[in-house]
Amino acid sequence: MSRRFYIITRDLHLYLGLFFAPFVLVFSFSVFFLVHSWIPGVGTQPGVSSFMRKVVVPSNIEALDGRERVDAVRSVLEQIDISGEVGFIRHIPEKHRLVVPVSVPGRETTVAIDLEAQSASIAQRTTGTWDALVTLHKAPGPHLEAIRMNWFPMRLWRGFADATAYLLFFISISGIYLWTVLRSERRVGLSLIAAGAFSFLGIVFALAH
Amino acid sequence: MPSLTKQAAADKSTGRHLAYIFETWNRKLHYYVGLYLLLFLWLFAFTGLLLNHPSWAFAEFWANRTVSTYERQIQPSPAGGDLSQARDIMRQLAIDGEIEWTDTNSDASHFDFRVSRPGHIFEIKIYTPQKRATIQRIDFNLWGVARVLHTFTGVRMGDPRNHRDWSLTTMWALSMDGLAAGLILMVLSSVYMWWDLKQKRWLGLLVLGLGLLSCGFFVMGLRWVTHNALG
Repeated sequence: MSRRFYIITRDLHLYLGLFFAPFVLVFSFSVFFLVHSWIPGVGTQPGVSSFMRKVVVPSNIEALDGRERVDAVRSVLEQIDISGEVGFIRHIPEKHRLVVPVSVPGRETTVAIDLEAQSASIAQRTTGTWDALVTLHKAPGPHLEAIRMNWFPMRLWRGFADATAYLLFFISISGIYLWTVLRSERRVGLSLIAAGAFSFLGIVFALAH
Repeated sequence: MPSLTKQAAADKSTGRHLAYIFETWNRKLHYYVGLYLLLFLWLFAFTGLLLNHPSWAFAEFWANRTVSTYERQIQPSPAGGDLSQARDIMRQLAIDGEIEWTDTNSDASHFDFRVSRPGHIFEIKIYTPQKRATIQRIDFNLWGVARVLHTFTGVRMGDPRNHRDWSLTTMWALSMDGLAAGLILMVLSSVYMWWDLKQKRWLGLLVLGLGLLSCGFFVMGLRWVTHNALG
């Protein structure tokens, strides 16, 4: 029983770890960019390209709010073949305009919808792979809870992001179990756990008090 | 003088010895790094879930915050930049933390800034002619502390005005870098260890390939499968 449990735990540790390794790398590499507020190559990406199209805008779109407005805007986006996660929609009532940011990891599009002229001007910018890592790291995040995850691929990403966090718990707990089996490493391992806990609690205490 | 055959055998033996040392230390480092970073990893994994699920009621912190406002007399700060003035005022008020500029402070009679640290925010308004400071202090519960720790870097993308100016923020940012570097090292060491297990190579390749495909779909694939207006 114990041997079987060990083998199953070791194999799950290995194969789940291998599957989620690329996700862990996405979250790890993007940490450097977020912590230092710098994304390599963002300034060197191609500039903004813009153009205008005629569209049919739902008549009640100004009266809608939250997720309903996002759904109405999406019908406009489909006409101009733009897909992605819709962010915070800015309404400028005096100009009868809606400004809609649409993001795909690595690309940003801003669609300004003129409700009176029934037209949309589209500006698009490629931000690159490093920026895509940062976008994915921050998604879904704590903001705009009412409207976020309005695009299926980002809902799917939320599942993977959560699964990566749960996987890290499983990997670390199963890793502790696999380490305890190695009797000769127990003393060094315990010292490292104690040193890690001391560093962690020390810095958190200093920051918060 | 040793023969060529003996020399080749000695080289092979040295190579095998070095490979053995590398394998041993690669394995040891995998779990040594993991054990040292355990609490850091658990904090960031758990707070990542909290940030992604703001509706989890048990971790509510904003509604449970406590706010208090008080005033203090202050001595005018010696002439200098905004940062040195803010530091002098913080010293007088016995407040420590990361300074955040919230206002342009164009009015000479008025000087505002925010000081934050995990669990606490101080909104400080200085009325220079009256030598008076108004401080609004906001305190969070433990869930608030945990959530702030996840994002407490002192800098923000696209905000050149704010820099890290507290030594503990720098230390925490280095801890985040250390955790990220440690995780990358653990992934690479695990790939090496798996590759050494010949009987698990094919299934491992399949699983790793599936992981790469799934993750690559989000990182690069989504740009390819969606319409690019740039053409």
